Amino acid sequence: MSEPRSVYPFTALVGQTRMRLALELNAVNPSIGGVLIRGQKGTAKSTAVRALARLLPEIQVIRGCRYGCDPLSERLCLECQQRRADGEELVAEPRRMRVVELPINASEDRVVGSIDLEAAIQSGQRRFQPGVLAEANRQILYVDEVNLLDDHIVDVLLDAAAMGVNVVEREGISVWHPARFILVGTMNPEEGDLRPQLLDRFGLCVDVEGISDLSERVEIVLRREAFEEDPEGFQASWADAEERLRVQIAEAMALLPQVEVGRPVLEAIARLSIALDVDGHRADLVGRKAAQALAALRGGRSAGIAEVAEVAPMVLSHRVRSHPGQRPPDVSEVASRVLGEA
Amino acid sequence: MSLPKVDLAPRRGPGFLQVVGQDRMKLALLLAAVDPLIGGVLIRGERGTAKSTLARALAAVLPPREVVVGCRFHCRPSAGDLCDECRKRSEGGRQLPLEMVPTGMVELPLGATEDRVVGSIDLEFALSSGEVKFQPGVLAEANGQVLYVDEVNLLDHHLVDVLLDAAASGRNFVEREGVSASHPSHFILIGTMNPEEGELRPQLLDRFGLCVDVVGLRDPEQRVRVMESDLDLAGPASGDEGLRFRLAEARRRLPEVELPRNLIRAAARMAVDQQVVGHRADLVMVRASRALAALRPGPSGAVRPAGLQDLMEVSELALVHRRRVAGSWVPPVAEGARDQGADAPGPGGEPGPSEGGEGGEEGGGETGEGSQSSSPGPAGEAASGRAGPMPAPPAASVELEERYEAGRLQLPHERRRRRGSGRRSRTTSQDRRGRYVSSRWQEKTTDLALDATLRAAAPHQVERRSAAPTADGKAIQLERQDLRQKVRQRRIGNLIVFLVDASASMDAEQRMDATRSAILALLREAYVRRDRVAMVSFAGRSARVVLRPTSSVDLAERQLSRLAVGGTTPLTHGLVAALDLIQAERRRDQEVLPLLVLISDGRGNISLRGDEPLREAQAAAAEIQRARIHTVVIDTSRDHPPPNQTAGSPLLAGYHFNACADLSRRLGGEYFALFDVTEQGILRPVAEALRRGA
Repeated sequence: MSEPRSVYPFTALVGQTRMRLALELNAVNPSIGGVLIRGQKGTAKSTAVRALARLLPEIQVIRGCRYGCDPLSERLCLECQQRRADGEELVAEPRRMRVVELPINASEDRVVGSIDLEAAIQSGQRRFQPGVLAEANRQILYVDEVNLLDDHIVDVLLDAAAMGVNVVEREGISVWHPARFILVGTMNPEEGDLRPQLLDRFGLCVDVEGISDLSERVEIVLRREAFEEDPEGFQASWADAEERLRVQIAEAMALLPQVEVGRPVLEAIARLSIALDVDGHRADLVGRKAAQALAALRGGRSAGIAEVAEVAPMVLSHRVRSHPGQRPPDVSEVASRVLGEA
Repeated sequence: MSLPKVDLAPRRGPGFLQVVGQDRMKLALLLAAVDPLIGGVLIRGERGTAKSTLARALAAVLPPREVVVGCRFHCRPSAGDLCDECRKRSEGGRQLPLEMVPTGMVELPLGATEDRVVGSIDLEFALSSGEVKFQPGVLAEANGQVLYVDEVNLLDHHLVDVLLDAAASGRNFVEREGVSASHPSHFILIGTMNPEEGELRPQLLDRFGLCVDVVGLRDPEQRVRVMESDLDLAGPASGDEGLRFRLAEARRRLPEVELPRNLIRAAARMAVDQQVVGHRADLVMVRASRALAALRPGPSGAVRPAGLQDLMEVSELALVHRRRVAGSWVPPVAEGARDQGADAPGPGGEPGPSEGGEGGEEGGGETGEGSQSSSPGPAGEAASGRAGPMPAPPAASVELEERYEAGRLQLPHERRRRRGSGRRSRTTSQDRRGRYVSSRWQEKTTDLALDATLRAAAPHQVERRSAAPTADGKAIQLERQDLRQKVRQRRIGNLIVFLVDASASMDAEQRMDATRSAILALLREAYVRRDRVAMVSFAGRSARVVLRPTSSVDLAERQLSRLAVGGTTPLTHGLVAALDLIQAERRRDQEVLPLLVLISDGRGNISLRGDEPLREAQAAAAEIQRARIHTVVIDTSRDHPPPNQTAGSPLLAGYHFNACADLSRRLGGEYFALFDVTEQGILRPVAEALRRGA
């Protein structure tokens, strides 16, 4: 595992509550579809993402599977299917979730996987060498500066993110494997836009800014200093808070299926999307899941208008269309108006 | 590699009928499934509208097919087309064994390489036996099934060509890597795309029989149902069984469905009226009408002939992507009525002037152009006339013509790249970036295509091993002639930087407006979103980057909404700022193709470094030329003498000195004088410069 040993605790982050909430919601329900974090450098984006992985409960994977198949899933990868067909007993083992990073200069064969060099040269066998998408299955796939990613890498990323499968037809190889991941991206909007198709793939989007509150800024420096000086000690002093949040997330995950989203709430979500003239229906689906996850996170048994209103900016801000010569509509303003009527 | 014969379908989604709404899309897909000869479906639409979901769901409802047992290409004798192997097996009138197998969907991922698409040499077989055997690819797998390409507008050109060839001939011919083979490849091509990401090549567009433009549902009730149905997706897909039966029945009925002559006539007339290119539209409309009649039989399942109702329901699906003139769709009700013998006059009271009209819109449109066009030739011929038959009021026709004009502004992109001209001759394959699409032999291999290399070496292994045995007798022996180089393709965009004079002069406002709309037009017209556009303006005492390089129309519109004008002319500041901007982009991407468009009267009057302003501007211009940035200078001064008069004249900024022409010479660029600055006036030289390969 390439993760640094000492990770800054999630709970020790100062401010940036929207970003943290967006990440927590994804932890509770990964099918929300990830987060895009827009903002300048040095706003704790990467720190928060890495810290999040520590809060996620362990997952069960099939031992020896290169893709980390879920033993309870009815759709196993080709290799697991083959092993089962060969009569092998598939054994589950726990694994910690982690952050798989996709560097922006990654080559396509590294991302989707390619022909196994060694096997090919030594024995002339065509074997598949999995890439980043395989590694990221059931993990967090983190793309820093996602807007600078090469076009064709974005294409394959989209392909995989869309259906949770990576289909490979290249270099003599023809395979598919599961590639379901929480996509987390960061970008600095000044360096260019993201393609709309990719933008839409991110379930939530938050804009982060540097904190302007003086005392908070001081607190950031102090905590950072303390962490650099003595990472273990710092982590120990935050262990309780981390444990509380971990338990909260685990309980929310368990509670999630029972959280109800009533019909009037669904109608409110639909009306909000229509009022904002967003493309397609993904906003609705994500909105429902996010409101549900928020209710679960707070221990509630049903999600209401209040939850919808709270997640609305994260769900919708990157999906509103701007019209020629007009400023894009203010999501929170429209939300409070439309939801106020409900 | 032996794939396990377990569950090969990588995806599972909701059932076809479980998708809420989107009836047009469902209709198009079902028609294409009833009659594969219709030629597939293209689904265009905004993100998140169940495009892919529905396309994938189609696979589950396709009726099973009868194929030759053991054939690697899934030959179907009923299709009347056999592969070489089956032909050999059936020699002498021998009966081929047949079996029913489920029909599914084969996906062509965007990252596919050519060898996997068309097929290639069987590596392992070649290694062990030293013989050449063909290993089928995606086109073989897709034979008799659905071939699905998500984001088809982003598929590499090279692969698109391969796909088109197979789709057109129904057969895949392979001549590569010592393999010579051909096999049938009939498939229903289904593509989905988001037009925001770029348009599809017209050639490929026409190849899709039907096309649907989908939008999100705008009804809250339906949207709620979408959210609710999303919840049930954990359960098994329902309703598919009945639909599969309906499709099978429709296919059985299809050959018996009659096509009345007036239906074919009406289809032809619609194609003419809608100014479609070529004759495929007529054919597709007729076939789709027949498929619809087969899908919706008469009472108690009796076969009924196809009628005008069917035609009207399917016509838009066949025409929407083939019409040459943008405009709102007018349901061709009047046409159908006329054809049935009820030759009713249009609402304007005139007896409709033959085939030229569009029913209700003709009244009073008989001016100049209109009367010329009253007897249009066949659709193919109409394509050569620019305005074409357009019986509309003059104002509207001018607008339409303009729109058409803008639509024709096709910017060349990497096509130029292949020709390799001048400084752009460096091929993409050498910087190891870009998508690996195929391979070739070359003198010195720098970017090894391992798979292709092995395939090249494989047939020789048996003899090489016997000539020089290796220790373990297994390792592959490579020789120089085996090495293959990867051919990569990368989208290379133009970076068009507009440098606009915003100083106070009589047409500053107009200049800014024209530039703004030229930028927006360029961004909208970009074939695939590879071009980026930036704008730098200068006025007062400084230059300002108004728009950072972007390909986003939205962003451009937002940032260009308010452009201030007025003040003096800091030309040098502008040139330096533009140069900085381009160099910064180059640092990020060496391959960027910059084009600088200066729109000014060239009369700088503010000094940057304390020198004489004109002299400074000339120095900056020389610097830009040294940086090998192609430029276009659009001179907006209204009193300029012809540029050649001033060639070699002294620097003194006399009245007759043409500052812009001089500047453009120093920039090594092209010079255009523009009396009135308009959007088209700016676009033309830009398109010209890009076309020439700058």
